[in-house]
Amino acid sequence: MAPFPGLLEPRPEGLYAPAFQAWIDPAVPVTRALLSHAHADHAVAGHGEILATPETAALYRLRHPDWTGATREIACGEPIEAGGVTLRLVPAGHVLGSAQVHLASDGDSLLYTGDFKRRFSRTASPAEAPHARTLLIESTFGLPVFRFPPTAELERRLEEACREAIADGAVPVVLAYSLGKAQEAAAILTAAGIPTVMHGAAWKLLPVFQTAGVPFPISRAYETGPPARGEALVTPPSTVRTPMVRAIKKRRVLYLSGWAVREAARAEHDADVRIPMSDHADFDALREHVREVGAETIVTLHGFAHDFARILAADGLDARPLAGGDERPSREEDA
Amino acid sequence: MTSYRILAETLEAAADSRGKLEKIARLSEGLVRVDEAELPAAARLLSGSPFAEHEQSVTSVGWASVVRAATEVTGWDEETVRACTVAIGDLGEAVSLLLPGDRGEGPSIAEVEAFFRGLAAAKKPAQRRDALAAILRRTSAVEAKYLLKTLSGGLRVGADVTTVEEAIAAAFGADREAAARARRDSGDIGETAAAARAGRLGDIRFRLFHPIGFMLASPIETAEEIEGELAELAVEDKFDGIRAHAHKDGDRVALFSRTLDDVTRQFPDVAAALAAAPGRFLLDGEIVAWDGERPGSFFRLQRRLGRKAPDPELLAEIPAVFIAYDCLAESDAALFETPWSERRRRLESLAAASELRSSAVYAAASAAELEILFAEARARGNEGLMLKRRDSLYQAGKRGRAWRKWKKPLATLDVVVTAVEQGHGKRAGMLSDYTFAVRAGENDEGGERFVNIGKAYSGLSDEEIRTMGTVFRRITIGKYGPVRAVRPEVVLEVSFDSIQKSARHKSGYALRFPRIVRLRPDKPAAEASTLEDVAQIYEKLISA
Repeated sequence: MAPFPGLLEPRPEGLYAPAFQAWIDPAVPVTRALLSHAHADHAVAGHGEILATPETAALYRLRHPDWTGATREIACGEPIEAGGVTLRLVPAGHVLGSAQVHLASDGDSLLYTGDFKRRFSRTASPAEAPHARTLLIESTFGLPVFRFPPTAELERRLEEACREAIADGAVPVVLAYSLGKAQEAAAILTAAGIPTVMHGAAWKLLPVFQTAGVPFPISRAYETGPPARGEALVTPPSTVRTPMVRAIKKRRVLYLSGWAVREAARAEHDADVRIPMSDHADFDALREHVREVGAETIVTLHGFAHDFARILAADGLDARPLAGGDERPSREEDA
Repeated sequence: MTSYRILAETLEAAADSRGKLEKIARLSEGLVRVDEAELPAAARLLSGSPFAEHEQSVTSVGWASVVRAATEVTGWDEETVRACTVAIGDLGEAVSLLLPGDRGEGPSIAEVEAFFRGLAAAKKPAQRRDALAAILRRTSAVEAKYLLKTLSGGLRVGADVTTVEEAIAAAFGADREAAARARRDSGDIGETAAAARAGRLGDIRFRLFHPIGFMLASPIETAEEIEGELAELAVEDKFDGIRAHAHKDGDRVALFSRTLDDVTRQFPDVAAALAAAPGRFLLDGEIVAWDGERPGSFFRLQRRLGRKAPDPELLAEIPAVFIAYDCLAESDAALFETPWSERRRRLESLAAASELRSSAVYAAASAAELEILFAEARARGNEGLMLKRRDSLYQAGKRGRAWRKWKKPLATLDVVVTAVEQGHGKRAGMLSDYTFAVRAGENDEGGERFVNIGKAYSGLSDEEIRTMGTVFRRITIGKYGPVRAVRPEVVLEVSFDSIQKSARHKSGYALRFPRIVRLRPDKPAAEASTLEDVAQIYEKLISA
């Protein structure tokens, strides 16, 4: 039996929903794309039309200012019907605007999680877990070594490491992906009273966050000047070896990512402090999601898809990796 | 009794700190918290080995046994444990992430030491596996991590035994040089720590039969650059063999190689000849193939390598001898802090009273004379010259300018990187070890065919390694454990000391001591050196 008859089919460009003639998060430009969220690896430029939450659509437009295609905004929970199939977007908790895709037809249903997280965060509401017969679940952290401490503890570690650095006369350099993690870090720091300077790629997305009600009271763009004593810099991991960061003679580099559980992350990112704060579900949350959705068939994709499917199968579940498996690099920056 | 937790947390703190001074501070804070009776074991464990160097003891537990034990204590199946190890990049780290953070009272340092001694004494793999599982059931995450790292022979905290020497000095208010000398002479960082704590470093006596670091020479490129120092320099041929320290007391002989491995069993003829000399001593010298009158080529000696014990036919066909060039200890006196000229006098009197072979010592008054000596050394089949200051002390394990070496390099090759893997120690986590290839005709699809010829630990800067790491991650075409196969695109220029026939690489050759000279981004892989180039250099070498 095909894992998801009728509702979705795997095609070379990506997963395709025939009822809506739309590809979900295709890796190449298509006529109509349903975007789960605005990260570059899910939302490439150049689609003819996008279907997305209003926040994802706004972020997509900001990230691709030259794009001229059409947008159809779909609010979470708003049902869309076509060809006997009902589509609903469900909060995914990954980043602002992120959504899971729920498809239902007479007697069949499917949930595509996209990237998701079940925890509370300051910039995205936690993932919900509606029932579906088939679950397509991301497995970026689908191994039991990836278990992250509680959010409150991670926030405290971030805040304390920044305060300590500042007390030592160093500038805290917080490495965080420009969409999602950067704003989350800035929200935590500014709420704690630590003034924050943001890299341009993250700063330019702030209006969408502010519209969604996230405050950034004491932050400013890097363009207005490098961080002064007492300020923290929030910047993407890829910038750690650029002159911008190198110019800060006394700095302490904090790496914020699920991959930070690995000691090797220290050398890879020139990091002094590793904080495993992730926008993805950790191993336990993945299993919780599987339990709560209660699907008969589970298909894993991204990251450790083979391992996670094997672990689920060992629990007696019908689970398999999406054919083709690890189609994305397993250490993308948005983790 | 001190909990092993203290050591594990000390190592964790050292790993988390930047810079040698901070690491020394963390280690010394840990050392002062340890009970006196457990201090020797603690100092050894902090330096990465449960045993003293002079014990020459090892715990070999196979990877499969460790995975099996990890499976037992974590409840995860073998495949998951293996996948986790690959994902994390280190078995100890992976297992620690699979264990609960705290399990209450863990093992003491004494118990951990007893565990490692038990492993070394155990005869059967099953006994070792059971012992490992038993101790892992009692360890919390951080303890398991460092226990397993110790077992696999690499703590990777950026602190080696010399860092621990300094931490001992800092912890107990001892002199750093005195601590280093005590460790060198005793072959035991543990005994050094105990003596430092008791204020008795000076009481440590030299002990034979543990590996000691080799004093290394800095290279020179031309005779002229050394001309001003020639009056102070003793000149010797640079032999093309295996550098070794020979420890000898009565009938007992031990040969340690540059890698501090005991190679005595590979050279029973050398050991027997040394045993015949009267006295008790430690000599620095070279093991060379002997053709009856003079050293044979390294290629001949190479056939004696890689065998645990050579058979009588091979011993007869390729006899090996030890050519001594330094005397580091005699009777009860360690001579490291004695000038070379006096050590040399001692060596010569030892040689006069026995059949010991020693190097000839020459002198040169000018660059021109040095050139002549170089040519003569080459004519004798040797690699080049060594130049040693007559007043030089023996700085074990250090490369200084008191000793110089002069070789003239062979041609370089432009090679293509085919695989990369992560380095260790300071370069853990960086793709710093490269396997490289030369061109060898066409492959099945009509493209260039590449055959591997060597592997080098990068001579590039950290910066270059990182930049290249990004490139290599992008062109990775397969992962095999820690090794990434990459598309053959990146060209490097490598220099080397020699070329040997070798079954290890597909090319049939191996480069000896390959070093990366520079990146060649200007050169496409299709213009890299060919197997034919290699064969030509090889032919030239063996006909020389």
